[in-house]
Amino acid sequence: MTINREKRISYAVLVTPAVLIYLLVVAFPTVFSVFLSFTNYNGGVIFGNSNIQLIGFDSYIWMFTEPVRSFYTALNNNLLIVAVSVFGQIPLGFILAYILSRKLITRGRGFFQTMIFLPNVISAIIIGVLFNAFIISPYSVFMEIKKLINPNAEFVLNTQPIIPVLFVILWMFTGFYMVIFLAHMQRIDPAIIEAAKVDGATEGRILTKIVLPVMTSEIVTCSILAISGSLKTFDLIYAMTAGGPAGQTRVLSLFMYEAAFRGAPNYPLANAISTVMVLISVILIIVTRQLGKIFSEKGD
Amino acid sequence: MKKILVLTLAALMVVTLVACASGGSGSNKKVELRVLHYIDMSSAGAAEELDVVWKAFDEAHPNITVNREDEFNDPFHDSVDAYAAAGTLPDVMYCWPSGRSTTLHTQKLLKDLGPLAARDNLSNNYSSIVLDPSQQAGGYMGMLAQGITSTNTFIANKEVLSAVGLTPAKTYSELVAQVPVLKAAGYETILMPNKDTWVMQSCLFSLVAGRFMGEGWEQDILSGARDFNDPDFVAALNFIKTMYDDGVLEQSSLAIDYGDGPGLFSTNKAAYYIDGDWRVGAFITDASTGVALITPDRQTNFEISVFPDIDVPGVKFNRSNSDIVGTGWGINAKLEGDKLEAAWTLVKWLVGKEVQTFRLRTGGISNPSWKGIDFNSLPLEPMQKELANLSSKYDKSTIVIDGPFADVVYTPINDGLQAMGIGTQTAADVAKLTQEALDNWKKTQ
Repeated sequence: MTINREKRISYAVLVTPAVLIYLLVVAFPTVFSVFLSFTNYNGGVIFGNSNIQLIGFDSYIWMFTEPVRSFYTALNNNLLIVAVSVFGQIPLGFILAYILSRKLITRGRGFFQTMIFLPNVISAIIIGVLFNAFIISPYSVFMEIKKLINPNAEFVLNTQPIIPVLFVILWMFTGFYMVIFLAHMQRIDPAIIEAAKVDGATEGRILTKIVLPVMTSEIVTCSILAISGSLKTFDLIYAMTAGGPAGQTRVLSLFMYEAAFRGAPNYPLANAISTVMVLISVILIIVTRQLGKIFSEKGD
Repeated sequence: MKKILVLTLAALMVVTLVACASGGSGSNKKVELRVLHYIDMSSAGAAEELDVVWKAFDEAHPNITVNREDEFNDPFHDSVDAYAAAGTLPDVMYCWPSGRSTTLHTQKLLKDLGPLAARDNLSNNYSSIVLDPSQQAGGYMGMLAQGITSTNTFIANKEVLSAVGLTPAKTYSELVAQVPVLKAAGYETILMPNKDTWVMQSCLFSLVAGRFMGEGWEQDILSGARDFNDPDFVAALNFIKTMYDDGVLEQSSLAIDYGDGPGLFSTNKAAYYIDGDWRVGAFITDASTGVALITPDRQTNFEISVFPDIDVPGVKFNRSNSDIVGTGWGINAKLEGDKLEAAWTLVKWLVGKEVQTFRLRTGGISNPSWKGIDFNSLPLEPMQKELANLSSKYDKSTIVIDGPFADVVYTPINDGLQAMGIGTQTAADVAKLTQEALDNWKKTQ
């Protein structure tokens, strides 16, 4: 057996199980879900069911044209979450990582690092419940304190109820990106930064000319994680607001869940929503990768 | 291979002979039933139910072997979906008349129990509503219900009311007049956990819509004789807006989780509580722990009724409630012969007088479908007795909106009821959107 043949066999043996599992668990359900979105399948036997018919784009047309515009509200909320993740969590995580890695604060670095990362080790459901109990609900601790100060204080519902949710999302995941950035920043050779300082570089120039270009691929990776994570957000919102009030905090995943599992099931619509979610995710990730390429080329 | 084939054929022959032999003995034939049961094992009376309901059936029917699978909440519905998709539904299953069980009904996966019910003269013993095919999503009698659900109960807390010198309001005007008195003493008027996406339309607005629109209004809407832009429907929506404006219903109710309602009400946060009749079970004593949210001696201070008379222009009648067929049991549509008879025997037992009486006592149901159960002979707690007396407090029943209308139609109503509270939609906006949603839904049917 030649070395090349041996390599090919080893490669096949090692890769095939993973590929098969991927095809079975990820690829097939995704493709099958796309197929089902074009049918009227709404429960019961799938294979050999003569009642299942192709209905074309009916579910998509319904989704895009229904008068309540639930899809657009959900999409808008998802895009807000993407924006908070990409333009909030990542820059903030980057800055915090830079401050810690450059030792710009001298005392309590370990404590700050732990505190910022801590929300990531708590389940999103628990965080949602805690925020409700302590801050958001009419009988929260925050409301009790408010009433202690002003007995006439009344609970007022935010007319933009997505804002508290966005705040929690920003608080919760910033630490995750901070840790990723920090790990990579610590791999930058300190001698390069020392040399720049000797040459008279300011902290701003060190950040923009040395650290940022090195970190481009990490920023792209984090952006992809943030986008995909934002589009599948479900647990936190389900626990905090359940999509309400008046559906104003509904996101696509919640819209899909409601279509499939609340009241009478509407599987064609749920499959159509999930297909659109995958498409949006793919488009946003391609855009992010292209932007990453442009920036890394500029950096070179 | 040949050996395996011969052995299989031989085994099949033996099985066939045994089956024929036992078939000759008629009723002695052993039948095995697969049953999917919905039960919250942490609920009051769950452990007792296994003995009283299931063990008793086993002992009375030695020729029927029940293989029961117990599930609760979403895992139950997931199991039903999975079995339906695989074509392996159990022989007997717990189900709803619509909602999450809609597929079972509309795909005709459940046996039509109408002929069996007629054969056994069930109309002598059961309320007519549970035998009415139009009350179930498939338009046929796919299940036999164990109760009737009233989605509005208006519970007055006389501990709070007497503390401020008030008595339970009988009209909406009286309720409005009580708001400043209660507020000055730090109490809310009505506590209603409205955060979830179904509570307002089910537990309050269905009743209000019925009183403004009249009986059978849903048929008028579905047939196109009227629409949601009808002035009466807009007036019903406007009444909810008035409730917010009058402070009877507070905006904060939109931020209260459904699960938090009983706990908050039992600690005297408000003078009144609105929920479905099933919620009274949350206040009574849990037999397994002996703990009650409202202890029996306190329960005498709680009066259960329907929403007070709405004394504003446009109301067609008062003293009404919104009722819907409750949960029950259905049979796999594929069952025939002895197995069908055995399944029917089990269903009749599970929805029969003895089991309904038991469930009434443990709080499992509040309004039984079996006619003529003597409530007074049962060791019920005061709030259960109050609830048993609920039907005497109203004369008319109107529909629960999420029964006849699809979720794409009732969701805009519930969202709109919440949006009016926040101030982002008017009654006319909600009516218009709902009508558009109905038109859109009709196109897909």
